[in-house]
Amino acid sequence: MQSAQSSSPPATAAPSPSATAAPVLSLNNVEVIYDHVSLAIKGVSLDVPQGGMVALLGANGAGKSTTLKSISGLLRAERGLVTRGEVRFMGHNIDALAPQRRVKLGIVHVLEGRRVFEHLTPDENLVAASAVRGSRQDMARNKDMVYAYFPQLHHRRAAQSGYLSGGEQQMLAIGRALMTQPKLLMLDEPSLGLAPFLVAEIFEIVRRINQEEGMSVLLVEQNALAALEVVSHGYLIENGRIVMHDSAEAMKKNPDIQEFYLGGAKGHDFHDIKHYRRRKRWLT
Amino acid sequence: MLFRQAGIFHTDYAAARALFPVTADRWMIIILLLLALTAPLTMSSLALSTNMLPWLVWTSAALGLNLILGWAGQFHFGYAAIMGIGAYTAVHGARNGIPWEIAVVLGGLMATVIGIVFAFAALRVKGLYLALSTLALQFVMDWVISHVPAISGGIQAMLQAPALRLLGQVVASDAGLYYVALGWCLMVTVLMLNLRRTALGRALVAVREKDFAAAVIGVHSLYYKLVAFATSSFIGGVSGAILIFTFYHAATPEQFEVNVSIQLLAMVIVGGLGSIIGSYFGAAFILLMPSLLNSLIAWLAHHMGASLGVEALAHIPYAVYGALIIIFLLVEPMGLGKMYNNLRNYLLVWPFGYARK
Amino acid sequence: MDLALYGELAVNGALSGLMYSLVAMGIVLIYKSSAVPNLAQGAMTMLSAYVVLAITSRFGAPMWVAIPLAMGTMFFVGMGIERVALRRLAGRPIVMILMMTLGLDIFIRATSMAIWGGTTRPMSIGISAEPLFLGPLLLNRASLVGAVVAIALFVIFELFFRTRMGIVLRAIADDYTASWSVGISVDRGVALSWAMSSAVATTAGVLWGSVQGVDQSLSLLLLKGVTVAVLGGLDSIGGAILAGVLLGIFEAVASGYLDPLVGGGSRDLVVAAALILTILIRPHGLFGRHDIERI
Repeated sequence: MQSAQSSSPPATAAPSPSATAAPVLSLNNVEVIYDHVSLAIKGVSLDVPQGGMVALLGANGAGKSTTLKSISGLLRAERGLVTRGEVRFMGHNIDALAPQRRVKLGIVHVLEGRRVFEHLTPDENLVAASAVRGSRQDMARNKDMVYAYFPQLHHRRAAQSGYLSGGEQQMLAIGRALMTQPKLLMLDEPSLGLAPFLVAEIFEIVRRINQEEGMSVLLVEQNALAALEVVSHGYLIENGRIVMHDSAEAMKKNPDIQEFYLGGAKGHDFHDIKHYRRRKRWLT
Repeated sequence: MLFRQAGIFHTDYAAARALFPVTADRWMIIILLLLALTAPLTMSSLALSTNMLPWLVWTSAALGLNLILGWAGQFHFGYAAIMGIGAYTAVHGARNGIPWEIAVVLGGLMATVIGIVFAFAALRVKGLYLALSTLALQFVMDWVISHVPAISGGIQAMLQAPALRLLGQVVASDAGLYYVALGWCLMVTVLMLNLRRTALGRALVAVREKDFAAAVIGVHSLYYKLVAFATSSFIGGVSGAILIFTFYHAATPEQFEVNVSIQLLAMVIVGGLGSIIGSYFGAAFILLMPSLLNSLIAWLAHHMGASLGVEALAHIPYAVYGALIIIFLLVEPMGLGKMYNNLRNYLLVWPFGYARK
Repeated sequence: MDLALYGELAVNGALSGLMYSLVAMGIVLIYKSSAVPNLAQGAMTMLSAYVVLAITSRFGAPMWVAIPLAMGTMFFVGMGIERVALRRLAGRPIVMILMMTLGLDIFIRATSMAIWGGTTRPMSIGISAEPLFLGPLLLNRASLVGAVVAIALFVIFELFFRTRMGIVLRAIADDYTASWSVGISVDRGVALSWAMSSAVATTAGVLWGSVQGVDQSLSLLLLKGVTVAVLGGLDSIGGAILAGVLLGIFEAVASGYLDPLVGGGSRDLVVAAALILTILIRPHGLFGRHDIERI
């Protein structure tokens, strides 16, 4: 969607479940620079409402992972800095906090590509993540919760995690994040490399977690089709800027989203391409 | 301004493929060569034999180690042992009547053979395990050389090297020995410079970066690692032989023990992994540093009234090597060669620094 | 074949092998919790022994005070190394990390020698020099104490790595960033692993110092320590113990057999040969893990 022009008025804020309550996460005009020279995202503002489930969509290299890392604090590992704007969690500015502190507050980031602890068993993976929460009873209770959501994991809990299949590793990564008792669960491309029916299964489990535990979810995805099925509203990021923000229904029906992210509307006529390309320009 | 560059534009393939595309570089090389060739005339005989000569020979050894460590990315803790094999073989050969040149080549070949035999075994593993097995090789070689009298030449373990005979003529003057060392160093440098441009050089870099990815595109990684080990061992063996014949004039086991391996590693790290000019700088740095620091510390101790035992002074060079390795790895992991390159890049467009992207 | 002689060699060899395990354990601890092979372990062992000596001689403190103080000092040395040197090289190729630990080893060794000189100093921790008789076999009492300590440490560490903190340390070794993302304090974990390793190094230094005196040869334990660590598997504490016993027996018996034939000094050769054989046949050692590489 490089040179595309929108003929519709700028997107309005989508109706959210608890529109009157303060959002659990709020990014205001965040700008991130890597290595002091590479601008990754600019002017990014997004809100995740209390108990809501929001998607952040975009193509490769758009800045989705960077946005998540600015929230979870893992930018430091890659020499990145938030140079402008602020990140607010539950109303407090968390820019100065170290990653461990943010996890303690209740933000957890499930990394892109799973990144499970390969030489530990799934059970040990869960135990390792429970360290931040202290008590043993909590750990036992959380483990039961995780195994209830992911019975397959319980079945494989003594294997070496590096040898689990992609889908099982993704379940383990999510379960491990749940052990930290988060208020905000952030998932970075959970569908990466997974078969479609597994993607649907995992998204369904995440939706259940959102409903049953009341956990807010920020879902970053390239797979817009699957993501828009489960979230209430979504943001679209392109070249480091948010270009669209609407309810999931509206986004699914939006002809441009359909064209570029959902595989095209019916009755597509290539005769219109030249005219179309001149018309679409989002970022002027 | 210094380089008179307005960009580097070539009009034919030959110019583009030249070893030194920038004219100023070519002039610099010519001037350096002239200086090197006329050194016996301009420098005192003492400076020649105690500074220039060892510097050149150690540089060629460092270049050989750089081939395996910097370009092929394979750890080698036992390079001094390889040099020792070459040295002892050459000396034994010369003592038994073999012409000097052939004895030296024989030394190189012996080092190559043992290097390959060893590499076959060691290259099954990577990283740490390769490092450890080369370290073990070093210890085994140390032991063999010092405990087998047939090799090391008797109880005192000092093997006298016969006179260097080039084409039958005895070469014993300082200038003559210097030219021999210079000749070998230049040969190795030219080899390394050209290696970069060949398929072999590119294959080595591919293997260093990710050997299974290299295998996927048809670069047989074990074969190229073996070739790297073999070439590097040959260079090491001949350098060791030349070191004995031109500098030490007698072979003892201490000259090739594990501390020497460490010294070589320091040269390569300080000079810069994979940098040819870095090997020159690194060798000079490591050879000069200890004596400079010894004098400095002795002077300091004298002025502060403290007395430093002889033993303390003996250990300072090693402390210096260790500290240099640490400092360079922290500050500039790519060594003096990178620093030189940074300076050169800056001067290439000076004073129009903004023109550099 | 004099069975009694070889038997005695074997038993004493096993005991001193367990002492090698102490050095190996320090290496394994660091590797298990930060995936860094610490080649400076030998130098740290030697330095800790010298520090103990310095504390007792300079301040006249008794052993049971000096040893914990030395452990504390070595902890700070280790932390300093980790923070200043190793952290900078976190993502770099293993060649550079190995060179860094090697540089540290050389530096610490040489500086210690420059400060304290090369004479062997005796260290006594209250173990009588009288040998112990087990049947017809003559045992070295200090080696016996060392062996017992090694086995005790093995039990302690095995249990430790099954606890939650131990699992956290193993997680850190697997993936720093993922550990951060679930709230694990990587700094504290690494500090803990260096603390444990320094304590083990001090223990090894003190025990060895009491057996053979404190001097440069202590740092040469590195080769034996590394061989034991590799033979047992770089991330297995139990492996370090078993490998120590095996190597100790092998070294004692083989050198006892070879020494008369080759005129002495074959211990190092035997150890080096053991290292080469291990790497040839089974590089990951007896109990080490295979690196999982999903391409």
